[in-house]
Amino acid sequence: MNWTGRIRAALPAADPDVAEELAQHARAMYDAARAEGAADEEAQRTVDAQIDCWRADAALLRRRARHPRIVDPPAAPATAWVGGLAQDVRHAVRLLRRQPHVALLVILVMAVGIGATTSLSAVAYGVLMKPLPWPDSDRLVSVRETRGGRSPRFGSVSNAAYLAWREETSTVEDLAGWSAQMVTISGAGEPERIRIVRATASLFRVIGARPAAGVLFGDDDERTNVAVVSESLWRQRFGGDPAAIGRRITLDAETFTVVGVMPDALAFPDRQTRAWVPMHVAPAAGNLLSMFEGLAKLRPGVAPEQAAAEGTARGRFAPDTGMTTMAIFGGTGPVEIAAVPYLDTIAGEVRRPLIVLIGAVLLLMAIATVNVAALQLARAASRRRELAIRAALGATAGNVVRQLVAESLLLAVLGGAAGIGLAWLLQGAAWSVLPADFPRVAEIGINGRIVLFGTALSMLTGVVFGLLPALRVRRPNLVASLAEDGTSPVSAGTRTGIARARGLAVAAQVAIASVLLVSALLLGRTFMELLQADRGYDAASVLSTALPLPMHTPERRTALLADLVERLAAHPAIEHAAFASETPLTPGGSTASFSLPPQDAAGGAIQVQASPRLVSPSYFAALGLRVLAGRPLAETDTPTSQPVVVVNDTFRRRYLDSDPLGAQIPMGFWGEEQNAAATIVGVVEDVRHIGAATPTLPELYFSSRQLPSGMRSGVATLLVRSRSDTASTRAVVHGIVRAAEPGAAVGPVVTLEERLLATSLARPRLYAILLAAFAAVALLVAGAGLFGVLSYSVSQRTRELGVRAAFGATRADLVALVLRQGIEVTVAGLAAGLLASLWLGRFLASLLYGVTPLDIVTYLAAPLILLAIAAVACIAPALRAARLDPVTALRS
Amino acid sequence: MLTPYMATDQLARELKRGSTELLVLALLEERDRHGYEIARLIEGRSAGAISFHVASLYPTLYRMEDRDLIQGRWIEKTGQRRRRYYRITAAGRKVLASQRSTWQAFFEALSRVARIRHA
Repeated sequence: MNWTGRIRAALPAADPDVAEELAQHARAMYDAARAEGAADEEAQRTVDAQIDCWRADAALLRRRARHPRIVDPPAAPATAWVGGLAQDVRHAVRLLRRQPHVALLVILVMAVGIGATTSLSAVAYGVLMKPLPWPDSDRLVSVRETRGGRSPRFGSVSNAAYLAWREETSTVEDLAGWSAQMVTISGAGEPERIRIVRATASLFRVIGARPAAGVLFGDDDERTNVAVVSESLWRQRFGGDPAAIGRRITLDAETFTVVGVMPDALAFPDRQTRAWVPMHVAPAAGNLLSMFEGLAKLRPGVAPEQAAAEGTARGRFAPDTGMTTMAIFGGTGPVEIAAVPYLDTIAGEVRRPLIVLIGAVLLLMAIATVNVAALQLARAASRRRELAIRAALGATAGNVVRQLVAESLLLAVLGGAAGIGLAWLLQGAAWSVLPADFPRVAEIGINGRIVLFGTALSMLTGVVFGLLPALRVRRPNLVASLAEDGTSPVSAGTRTGIARARGLAVAAQVAIASVLLVSALLLGRTFMELLQADRGYDAASVLSTALPLPMHTPERRTALLADLVERLAAHPAIEHAAFASETPLTPGGSTASFSLPPQDAAGGAIQVQASPRLVSPSYFAALGLRVLAGRPLAETDTPTSQPVVVVNDTFRRRYLDSDPLGAQIPMGFWGEEQNAAATIVGVVEDVRHIGAATPTLPELYFSSRQLPSGMRSGVATLLVRSRSDTASTRAVVHGIVRAAEPGAAVGPVVTLEERLLATSLARPRLYAILLAAFAAVALLVAGAGLFGVLSYSVSQRTRELGVRAAFGATRADLVALVLRQGIEVTVAGLAAGLLASLWLGRFLASLLYGVTPLDIVTYLAAPLILLAIAAVACIAPALRAARLDPVTALRS
Repeated sequence: MLTPYMATDQLARELKRGSTELLVLALLEERDRHGYEIARLIEGRSAGAISFHVASLYPTLYRMEDRDLIQGRWIEKTGQRRRRYYRITAAGRKVLASQRSTWQAFFEALSRVARIRHA
């Protein structure tokens, strides 16, 4: 019996559900009647009577309002949640494939953020946190000596203090001394400049090194010419042959026998050291004070301060070395020893800049996250209908949130993977981007820990930028969503919660971008100030190169150099050529101490600590140093004429009140045979070491023509002032030097400016470039966010704008309306960002030079730049608003 | 709402409508039921005194469903056609409780005035 058919025939307009329900009722009635004994026709008649009653009831004929079908969900097993998540992920993949441009944008933004963060984390970890490669490296401390609070000009501990402490130690297991130098290696290959370390045998015990082959030299070898080579040198020059043990090498005209190979992993202080030779620490007798680096290993459980106290106490027993102490420390006083954990010694000075950079990169990450969150919010808003249907089909709020978070997590993980890949590719670039003297560059790399960190970060950001929008749309009202039409009634641009949230997101991005912009401007200005600072010499057109001449006697060296300089000066491309015993840019260098007679009757002898340099007469002309008084050195100063000296301005200001010209400087520090005194004939401008930790020191310039024996340094610096462009002159210099000294391992010919950029300016430049890059990305992202919000707003307000246009608003008015919205958001973000910058500026203070954290120019330029970018971002939406056809707009 | 001025027919209709809802809610309070079951029970339990017009049952059920007093669902059991079962909602329980107390008060007032006692 087809009851459903009969009901439908009787009540054709009835709802199918109603029909089905009534049909069941009819069936039940029929079955009950039959069960009570009624015949088939009788039972049917009973039911037909009922159907007639229903037909007469108009209420039944009405179409029923649709209630959402509520189907009981099956009992959820434990794996249902996982299955649900997997389904959400599949759905997310489908969704993203339908909107690839959105997905790509999000992945790109995330990749940039995660890539930058991961790269910098790798640097920070490798430099600041990764343990040093030697066993128990946390017990290694560097030993630093001061006298009367003054640090030495070079080295960190004197032989006097070192030996005094070594006699009896209870806080440290052992003490070692070492000093690095550049030498020319020959034998078993081409001559090459390499770095070696002269060290006491105790160094190997202190660091706990074991040889890869052969042996490491011991205490008995300290006066012998043995050498331990690095693994890389062993492979390069000896092909890794075990028979290399016992072979000979020449280091700066001295022959050494190879006794062992140091594994590269344990190379001290770093992998750039290619060989170790013994250093004997002589007692401090008479005026002999030698300085070197000190290293100690604390006994377990001993704090550095305890060791320092012991060192200080023992150091007090060191013999007094009079003038030499004065020369090296700039004063006399009791010995004070400090023990600094070795990791701090190497990485300490980059800690603050690295922290600043990490802060900057985290801000960049925040911008990326906020930007993507705003994007996701807009997408979620446009999917209200879909989400409402999902909810109607039985999805709980938690399900909706899970779906949105799954989509965001997918994007974040993809972006994170791209970012980590980017960081991995960039890690090779770290070697070239970081300055040569940046500590622990070899330890920087993307390892498992860093990858884990990057992955965790991308998942966290995924959850954050997924959760925020999800929480806003998790309770969609189906009826309202389906009934609404897209262009809602007119009102101001920030009426809906979602639009408000997006506006806030853009303001936040603008704020963060302005913080980064201010920092970038401050560091950029610092770098420019450093570059353009008046150093006293012309850095751009002066070429310099290091010429090692270890194999010659000092007199022979001087003669060679004089001849070379003459050849160079004869070349038409070269204006001046000179040589010096030291590079003008080295703040360290040799030091001497002597007494000057009292300036007036009442005063006592003046103790002088100054840096003497041996230079050729054309030195000042080549460098472009201004002569402030008297005359420079000249060719007329010969070995037989009156010995003369030129001093720098700092020397004059510190030691000579009255007219300096004519004052006598003793020359005893050049050697015992120099009993004469030199007359000051001129005062030159200071060579300033801008930005370096050491201030300008008093300097004395002696003529090489008058002191041929003075060229004791094995390496001379050649200086050439070029007439024309430096590029061609470089080749000329190289050619002439090679021709004169074919066997010398000449260094690269670079301008002084390039040398600066590679040394003292390297880090300021790096920081400025990095911050500028972050700021540029931040501005781009914030600008894109602003553009997105305004475009959305214009499309939402199409009808409103149409109404305004219809009522007489001009194009300019409409443009102004949109621009005002954009400017409001920008100004809000800018104000917050500038306030934050004012507060955060103090963390930058140690990195700045020539500008203060509250630099007016910066705080005027940053808002202008930001507003300009905002204006650009606003143009397209504003023009779209201006080009609206009111009729079309009202109809839409 | 009952006022003394209503005509008797209207009063009877109102009473019936109000009572039908009360009856449905009370029956569903015990457990979920489908429409035919509700109809049979009302006839059976009232011992025929409430001559229940089945035709009006379903409009009542639908009305109550629109007012969220009850909730109808299609339940499919193995081997059977699906049937529409009704369940009382939380709102329905509240209305049931309030209607019960209203009827209670009504009866008490009646008995006080007319000395009618209920079983």
